[in-house]
Amino acid sequence: MGAHQRMVAHEDWSALRAAETARMLAACTSCGACFDACPMIPYAPDAKAADPGQTVRGVLDVLTGGTGDAAARNWISVCTRSGSCNEACPHAVNPMLMLRLAKWRANETGAVPKRDAAETMSRVKVFARLSFTDDEQRDWL
Amino acid sequence: MTQSLFWYGCNMTRHGEIIRLSQRILEAVGVDVAPVGGPGACCGSPKESTPRIAEGMADRTMDKFAAWADGVRSAEGGGGAAAEHRSRESAAAAEPQPRIITWCPSCHMNLDDFMGQSNEQGFDSRHLCEALYEQRERLAPLLTHRVDAHFFIDRHVGFDGRVPVNTIIPELLGMIPGVTFADHAYRAPSYMCFGLASVPGALADVQRATLEAMRETGADTLITIFHSCHREMIGLERDHGIRVLNWVHLLAEAMGLAYEDEYKAWRNAPDPVAAIGAERVAAAGEVAVRKYVEPELTRPRLV
Repeated sequence: MGAHQRMVAHEDWSALRAAETARMLAACTSCGACFDACPMIPYAPDAKAADPGQTVRGVLDVLTGGTGDAAARNWISVCTRSGSCNEACPHAVNPMLMLRLAKWRANETGAVPKRDAAETMSRVKVFARLSFTDDEQRDWL
Repeated sequence: MTQSLFWYGCNMTRHGEIIRLSQRILEAVGVDVAPVGGPGACCGSPKESTPRIAEGMADRTMDKFAAWADGVRSAEGGGGAAAEHRSRESAAAAEPQPRIITWCPSCHMNLDDFMGQSNEQGFDSRHLCEALYEQRERLAPLLTHRVDAHFFIDRHVGFDGRVPVNTIIPELLGMIPGVTFADHAYRAPSYMCFGLASVPGALADVQRATLEAMRETGADTLITIFHSCHREMIGLERDHGIRVLNWVHLLAEAMGLAYEDEYKAWRNAPDPVAAIGAERVAAAGEVAVRKYVEPELTRPRLV
């Protein structure tokens, strides 16, 4: 839930990412509880049999610009923000955000391929032309 | 100028009737809203594999929302700039509260986690189900039409910790005369079906588990919470002897509001483009429909 007139916490997303990355690196003990709680691990063939703590260390490596290991990259790729990791984390690291920021970093470094979203907005626009009246297209878009 | 915006997101352009119904239901309980969404009000999520582009899109949306919120306060005599010189407490007491009512959980999370962290947020925000839950005493008497449905809800583990959709929505639907809730312990991974579709095997497993849970409970109706879930689950209606509705559809039926779920009709038609109709296809651009719409509506069914 949003709060009225909340103070701006960060100048921009780069500052937010830097601050969160530093906080996560300081807070995370690589205990692996987040990995154990993740319902998507069965869909990550490179991570299924991996050591939880080692995989978390791989994610932290990706988060700071490294390539991590195959298990970490695979886990990052299959994260669907279930949030089970956040409930399991004993140190309030926010592993769901950790994995999301790691994916962003991996997309930037090339460690994990980018999702192809080139046609997303074109599709959104065509469906709007099909589903919305002219007035709705003028007023709602 | 309305005091609330219904921020429906971008991929909801497939479901114009859900936007219309949401607006009508909100207005019926005393919440005047204007829908806004599409590429011009994007949270950045579709482009987040390039975060700088996502941030630019999100910032433009926040600028748009800030201008609207200032306009609300000015129209109501609050004076956006002047208000900055008053204490937050006295301003809050004197001014109307512009509110963004969200639909999409991706937008909602981005607003909380990124957009509102790096921009002034001169408005309140609530998810649609929360906004309706606040008005449930006004909503209940409007649910006058009996709906015979033993409904199961496609609930996911994610997002519920932020907005308790998994408890609010059954409670709202439970006010409808004639319905019974087929409660079950199953929760799908992710926060909606969108992310599962790109992970091999994941969405098919969720659909199988959902159908099994429905069999166990004897449910005849599958209720979706979010648009991407609706998009993925409506295909089950054709082959599995169940009805698939969004939760807003069910409220609308109970209120006697007419609607047509065209996306479902198109998806389950033998020839989706023919089902859309030549005139509408031509108006939307046949090349674009063939390139962007037809492949989605004819994609393989997983179970």
